[in-house]
Amino acid sequence: MTTLGDTLSASGVSRRAFLKFCTALTSLMALPPSMAPAVAQALAKAKRPSVIWLSFQECTGCVESLTRTNSPTLENLILDLVSLDYIETLQAASGFAAEEARQHAMKESNGQYLLLVDGSIPVADGGIYGTLAGESFVDMLQESAKGAAAVVAIGSCASFGGLPKANPNPTGARSVSDIVKDKPVINVPGCPPIAVVMTGVLAHYLTFGKIPELDAQRRPLAFYGETIHDRCYRRPFYDQGKFAKTFDDEGARSGWCLYELGCKGPITHNACATVKWNAGTSFPIQSGHGCLGCSEPDFWDNGSFYKALATADWGGAKAIGTAAAVGVAVGAAAAYAARKRQNRVSKEG
Amino acid sequence: MSAIDNIGIKVIEAADLPTGNVKALLHELSGLLDAWLSTGEAASIDLRSLPLTRGDYDELGATLGAGAVSASVEAIGLSEVRETRYPGVWRVTHRNEAGEIVADLLEVCDAPVILRSPVEDAADGLIRLKEALRP
Repeated sequence: MTTLGDTLSASGVSRRAFLKFCTALTSLMALPPSMAPAVAQALAKAKRPSVIWLSFQECTGCVESLTRTNSPTLENLILDLVSLDYIETLQAASGFAAEEARQHAMKESNGQYLLLVDGSIPVADGGIYGTLAGESFVDMLQESAKGAAAVVAIGSCASFGGLPKANPNPTGARSVSDIVKDKPVINVPGCPPIAVVMTGVLAHYLTFGKIPELDAQRRPLAFYGETIHDRCYRRPFYDQGKFAKTFDDEGARSGWCLYELGCKGPITHNACATVKWNAGTSFPIQSGHGCLGCSEPDFWDNGSFYKALATADWGGAKAIGTAAAVGVAVGAAAAYAARKRQNRVSKEG
Repeated sequence: MSAIDNIGIKVIEAADLPTGNVKALLHELSGLLDAWLSTGEAASIDLRSLPLTRGDYDELGATLGAGAVSASVEAIGLSEVRETRYPGVWRVTHRNEAGEIVADLLEVCDAPVILRSPVEDAADGLIRLKEALRP
């Protein structure tokens, strides 16, 4: 099996360029920059793993997010690092040939391939609400997970059930971790997830040969370790008690905190506030709308998107005003938290 | 003129306002520079991992200023390497071939590693030089 180092030097990539690539990758994986040489060393020896991607009850938004990423060089290199052996949306093969490719990859890389899943799995009425090639989604997932090294649930539907699971959940939609019990499952939620978070998780697995450190919801801590609120550039307004009350008042126009307009930032763990979207252009709060909390379980059924969080939901509202006097200290704390997060992640690497 | 034009629009880019995070960052930088001077341990900070607004970046750029050295490296896209007005503190900005920033670092060291010639590249270069000298 060829290593990534072989692949890159065969395509004329210099060592300096490779080191630069690894510096970017280290940043992408939210590791401290001092780890770039170690990442380069590990990655040069990494083998190209087989990847099988299954799509169930989903809208293809996750695949769109991944394939329309803004930094083609980096993303393409990462995608070149894996052997994507089965993905219905992108593969040229169809019908029996496609299913044969999946069976072949499962046999050839038994115990070693990565299984990526987007979409939830319907289990009501014998799983009849989702079938593919004459097989129910739930059977196909169980069959494909058997020989996988790990399963990555891409998006909120695969991670938590998502929109298909919303009340009254007519198809009995379930998450991947509801079905797969005997394999490591990594949840990469979001509706859709940020592309670099998806590639960052894959890159971490390639670099270190193991799954990243996860939180209680099985989300990688490197990207989901902090709330949107804690990393939000509007946080100083929250601390000063400056809130937009409607979407067209003076506060909204002045870019004040959207907490009272229902922003779910305080209870939502994701990297939107730092990584942002569309080549780092913006994220919902920067565009003037509160966070919907799409990377949290059952976000669709958690009440109105426009109702302010109750103190009981997260216990943070008592801090309003009291932190106003320590604006600089809050900034220092944010920087400290970021460092702490990176240290924690690097130890595990 | 349609009715919509009568609606007054006031645009304030909140994202341009400084947050105060730069001060914390500069304190950290000062600590890292102190550590490098006393122990020789180089360090770097990934700017994109921090919640910085455009206003913060402006403030940071103005504070760090420009030092004696400025270099560019062409390797799968342009990388800019600039020493700040504080010797030993470097700003290294890596871009991809499309010109987008893929890593933006503050490095505390004698010279960022991207400027050095890797031995693997030098070995390849030697082979090419010998080929060129062959009669």
